[in-house]
Amino acid sequence: MSTCIETSDLTKCYGPVVAVGGLSLRIETGEVFGLLGPNGAGKSTTLYMLTGLVRPTSGAVTIFGKDLRRGFLEIAARMGVLVERPSFYDHMTARANLLLLARLANRRVAVDRALDRVGLLWAAHQKVHTFSHGMRQRLGLAQALLTEPELLILDEPTNGLDAESTRDTIKLLRLLAEQAKVTIIVSSNLLHEVEILCDRVAIMNRGRLLACERTDRLLSYDPKQVEILVDAPETAAKRLMEQPWVNAVDIAYGRVNVKLGDASVHHLTSFLISSGFIVSGIVPQRRSLQDFFLKVLKR
Amino acid sequence: MMRRIINAYFVEVQKAARMRVTYAGPVLVVLAVLAAMLQSPLERDGLSDYRFVYDATTIALDVLGLFLIVIFCSGLIASELGRGTIRTVLVRPLRRVEFLIAKLLLGATFAATLLVLAGAASWTLASLFGEVHGVEYGGETLYTSAGMAGAYAAAAAFSLLPLFALVAFALLMSTLTRSTAAAIGWSIGIWLLLDMVKHPLGIQPFVFTTYLEPWQVFAQRCDGFPEMGWMPANPVYLVGVSVGWLVLLVALAAGVLQRRSLHA
Repeated sequence: MSTCIETSDLTKCYGPVVAVGGLSLRIETGEVFGLLGPNGAGKSTTLYMLTGLVRPTSGAVTIFGKDLRRGFLEIAARMGVLVERPSFYDHMTARANLLLLARLANRRVAVDRALDRVGLLWAAHQKVHTFSHGMRQRLGLAQALLTEPELLILDEPTNGLDAESTRDTIKLLRLLAEQAKVTIIVSSNLLHEVEILCDRVAIMNRGRLLACERTDRLLSYDPKQVEILVDAPETAAKRLMEQPWVNAVDIAYGRVNVKLGDASVHHLTSFLISSGFIVSGIVPQRRSLQDFFLKVLKR
Repeated sequence: MMRRIINAYFVEVQKAARMRVTYAGPVLVVLAVLAAMLQSPLERDGLSDYRFVYDATTIALDVLGLFLIVIFCSGLIASELGRGTIRTVLVRPLRRVEFLIAKLLLGATFAATLLVLAGAASWTLASLFGEVHGVEYGGETLYTSAGMAGAYAAAAAFSLLPLFALVAFALLMSTLTRSTAAAIGWSIGIWLLLDMVKHPLGIQPFVFTTYLEPWQVFAQRCDGFPEMGWMPANPVYLVGVSVGWLVLLVALAAGVLQRRSLHA
């Protein structure tokens, strides 16, 4: 796998405020990379620096092996960008807007295909000022996809979309990454969306990169955390709390959640059966991105 | 680079052509030419009405037209910054300076359109309701109608340069703010301020805030001054000052735009 984006010690300061400080990242070709963080973490500023809209105070950005400043024209021709709150020429139709943007890209493009991909073909001849927030967002995605880019930089792509459009957008982006090997870098506040979409996530806060992990590793099953279905959950919970090899126990919706200490699930099962409980199920618990996110932010 | 600028220019023309406000300028210029008939009435009295052509052109272009150009051009970049459309455009393979040049060309096209309209309207009215058969004095033809038309064309060509410098000035103001109203306010404010202080400061030879200089030859021909040539009194100075300002203002605007952070 080759490197698509590389940043080294990327910093952006607005006067005394450090919006992004010393960010070093490497994103592989075909990877879907998520940038997570609370508001003001520096996600959007990072994306703006990757698109050339904001000049870094220091540090370097390399995309497709070329320095962003020197090779901007070549990079921009292979890149699609959706910025936060995408703006268009409201007095023109969706189609006319895309035709103008295609002309700037100096390419013959299938405007209708781009509109169709985001489910907006029916509104192609409608003026943009009549569009809802969600429709504008989808048009923003259409303009990003217009030139069949190899790299997509998307700032909160599902912002303002309804559930169905969000699902379709995520499906489309996954398809682009898997079939067309499009590299996608996306910022979002919606953790469940990032969980489904991204191969790897980075967590930022106050302009700093706090963690960067593969999503499948983060979301793997935790062998030390299980949910038990037993005939007498309250009694079982009470008994388990007395055991030194159990770290934590709680009951929710009639199920006992157990966090094991120095013991295996096999040991737990044997203990419950030998204590006379009827065990109907033991479900290993999956780690969630939210747990990881909150843990990293607390650190 | 040229191809990208041409593409960006055509995009700008298409955008402007689809906005109703773009047509306000040309309509007002034609109305100003019509209104000039009140100041210099047209009559078929055997005398040529070149004075009307001069008055109509200078009223329409050098009074109203200048404001229209400043208003139109001040909004060209400020409106894109304010709406955020500049972010949609500048992530395409287009350099900021190329975007600026495309805007400059659009502003220049607008200024040239106003000039052509003012000329066409004033000559048409003079031909329809007055006379344009040359300038005579004491039965002698001083200037033929072709000679007067030529002098007008030369004056118009020379007046384009200071107009383009004005376009560049308004564009510079447009890069400084995200508000179109503020950009227009700054442009007109600084322009009026310069007009007030240029004489006390002695900088008037380098600041054309009236833009009448190129029209002096045509005006003097209208009034029957004999043996007037085609060119303004000091063409090199006229071109030099205009081009100098144009280059300086575009360079400043490019510097400002290049350094701007285009975040939301």
